[in-house]
Amino acid sequence: MTSVPSAAFVAAPRASAATLDRFSYDDDIVRKFLFATLIWGVVGMLAGLLIALQLANPIFNFNTEWLSFGRLRPLHTNAVIFAFAGNAFFTGCYYSTQRLLKARMFSDGMSRFHFWGWQAIIVSAAVTLPLGFTQAKEYAELEWPIDIAIALVWVVFAVNFFGTLIKRRERHIYVALWFYIASIVTVAILHIFNNLSVPAGLFKSYSIYAGVQDAFMQWWYGHNAVAFFLTTPFLGLMYYFMPKAAEGPVFSYKLSILHFWSLVFMYIWAGPHHLHYTALPEWASTVGMLFSVMLWAPSWGGMINGLLTLRGAWHKVASDPILKFFVVGITAYGMSTFEGPMLSIKSVNALAHYTDWIIAHVHTGALGWNGFMTFGMVYWLLPRLFQTEIYSKKAMELHFWIGSVGIVLYVVAIYSAGVTQGLMWRAFDETGRLAYPDFVETVIKLLPMYWMRVVGGSFYIVGMFIFGWNIMMTWMRRPARYDVPVIEAAPLSPKYVDDNPALPARGLWARFNQLQWHRAWERAPMLFTALTIVAVVVASLFEILPTFLIKSNVPTIASVKPYTPLELAGRDMYIAEGCFNCHSQMVRPFRYETERFGEYSKPGESVYEHPFLWGSRRIGPDLAREGGKYPDLWHVRHFENPRAVTAKSIMAAYSHFLTRTIDFEQIQSRVDAMAMVGVPYGDALNRAPAMARAQAKTLAAAIVEQGGPQGLEDKQIVAIVAYIQRLGRDIKVQSTASRGAP
Amino acid sequence: MKLSDIMSYADLSSYAEVALVLFLGVFVAITIRTFLPSRSRELYEASLLPLEDDRVITPRDKEG
Repeated sequence: MTSVPSAAFVAAPRASAATLDRFSYDDDIVRKFLFATLIWGVVGMLAGLLIALQLANPIFNFNTEWLSFGRLRPLHTNAVIFAFAGNAFFTGCYYSTQRLLKARMFSDGMSRFHFWGWQAIIVSAAVTLPLGFTQAKEYAELEWPIDIAIALVWVVFAVNFFGTLIKRRERHIYVALWFYIASIVTVAILHIFNNLSVPAGLFKSYSIYAGVQDAFMQWWYGHNAVAFFLTTPFLGLMYYFMPKAAEGPVFSYKLSILHFWSLVFMYIWAGPHHLHYTALPEWASTVGMLFSVMLWAPSWGGMINGLLTLRGAWHKVASDPILKFFVVGITAYGMSTFEGPMLSIKSVNALAHYTDWIIAHVHTGALGWNGFMTFGMVYWLLPRLFQTEIYSKKAMELHFWIGSVGIVLYVVAIYSAGVTQGLMWRAFDETGRLAYPDFVETVIKLLPMYWMRVVGGSFYIVGMFIFGWNIMMTWMRRPARYDVPVIEAAPLSPKYVDDNPALPARGLWARFNQLQWHRAWERAPMLFTALTIVAVVVASLFEILPTFLIKSNVPTIASVKPYTPLELAGRDMYIAEGCFNCHSQMVRPFRYETERFGEYSKPGESVYEHPFLWGSRRIGPDLAREGGKYPDLWHVRHFENPRAVTAKSIMAAYSHFLTRTIDFEQIQSRVDAMAMVGVPYGDALNRAPAMARAQAKTLAAAIVEQGGPQGLEDKQIVAIVAYIQRLGRDIKVQSTASRGAP
Repeated sequence: MKLSDIMSYADLSSYAEVALVLFLGVFVAITIRTFLPSRSRELYEASLLPLEDDRVITPRDKEG
């Protein structure tokens, strides 16, 4: 879009035109992001529907390796977070930033680079995740070349955004922009530090952190991805689009300031609540819990502020579907930010962790808050961007109701599933034994709820199709050529002139209290950004440094040794298949866990775990002590067809493990990369393939001895069985040799 | 002596509490400042920013 002033304007300039700038906004980029939001929203939610079906019935894995749950679950989460919600944020950000700053974006070229770069990253994610290229860190699965591309595109976005801030024509930075600033800088910091890794090939890398430290970094990142990708950007959108739709200013601007600073100060500390009762040091876990509980206050401050913006306009909600979406969206924000702090309390977390409760919690936030805020915002934008009436207001109403019913069906079912499974895991019978010793019993109990989730999710997706249809029909009615209005605004004078200055105050304290000093830095966006970065970085360092540097936090265990080359190859398969999406490797120190799985996990056990594989959900049993529980042949049969050994299992089949051959030569580069991140590999540095072949031969012979098939010595199955049979073995050796280490 | 030994002796664990106090102090200062009567007018004006309509100087082009 170019901004050529019309002939009428040139012929009749205003008297004041000499002091005013003329410019127009770039709405073309907003339209681009809007379409991307729609397309990726549909793709991401359909992926969600498919994996929901896979949990309800494993036949939906289609016995196809790149369609299995473990590989598609990250595709779903990445698509809805970074593609759907990400593009939705960019849509609203590009629209509101230009208008709040009275300036066109700093560079149209950078805006386009951001758009196309981001879409290319999404496409590469959609290709690489089903192929099994993953770093095994939740919401940071993408491998290192894509991570570098993300950093590059994000920097371009940041330069474009801050460039616009500098050339702005509005002195005051509105609170929505504060939220955008915090999001942009924090996401950059989180992304870079969580993804530091050593490559072992084009699409394989190992995190530079190990075990406890890697877990700590991951959930520092993971929780703040929720905070600074799904919360603060959408709060910024709320503070702009809610007043627009309600046609009145935000309820309390003062509250919005407190809301902002308290979120920035507190969110960054909250990550460790994802690791309660794990091998994370207790002090870190407690700090995480305290800050999470404190987050309840600012979150509800924000919710109240959003809802009360409708004061005096509640009657409009009945007739305006846009306001309906916003009201339910903001209420969902309130519900999930009440629940989040509650789940971070250790005793509640003990029940909820690893269950579907967490899945229900995130879907209240994602479907309600991110989804409905996006829908309301897009419906508000449609007539303005396409310069025509919305095609169907009735369809908006239908979308609202079908979406709302979908959310309720989804979350009620999955809450029930979560609490049911959590209670079943901890139930003992009157003789003091586990009431449900067979893990699969606690899974099949959930299947009716999983089907109800499929129904609820389908409702939501039908709403998404109605949304898409309405957008396309509105778009078809657009004018042949978009009108690009020319805007007139005064440039900022280099020196700030207060047009209503306060009276000169007497005395030092009174002058200080006039806060001219503060107004000065509030008007300076770069200083403001620097202070936001300081808040985020200082909080992170105070929490992260002790975990990394205090030796007593991770007591070493002499018997814990690095994986053999073959086991490492098996572990890489475990990562590629996304096994960690369903199986944890972290036994918590509860009797009902140690009874079921064995000795609880110690921090020192994961010192060579690059990356850590503790997991966050138990759709299948914990595997931390799996080694030696079953014969090798049991695992071969189980991978080939899980239902051959566990009749009601919902696990995907991995029969291709029995036919694919191991790339023994490749193992050397894997071992070398692991050595580079500090794993003492010794002998294996020179002869990893030979060592792997020898171990594979022994294991294949053992399988034949147990009555299994011949000729598995070069097949992938032996690598993964070797890995599974190693799990938890080191500590078992120790506990028989010398018990007592805590 | 490695860096981690030095940091271990420095006993950084109490720093988290120091940071907590610092952050709380800054936050209280922000809160007080936000509610100062002298700020009311400026903040009220700021809250109207999204509602400020642009000064459009070209008529909407309807000729297609």
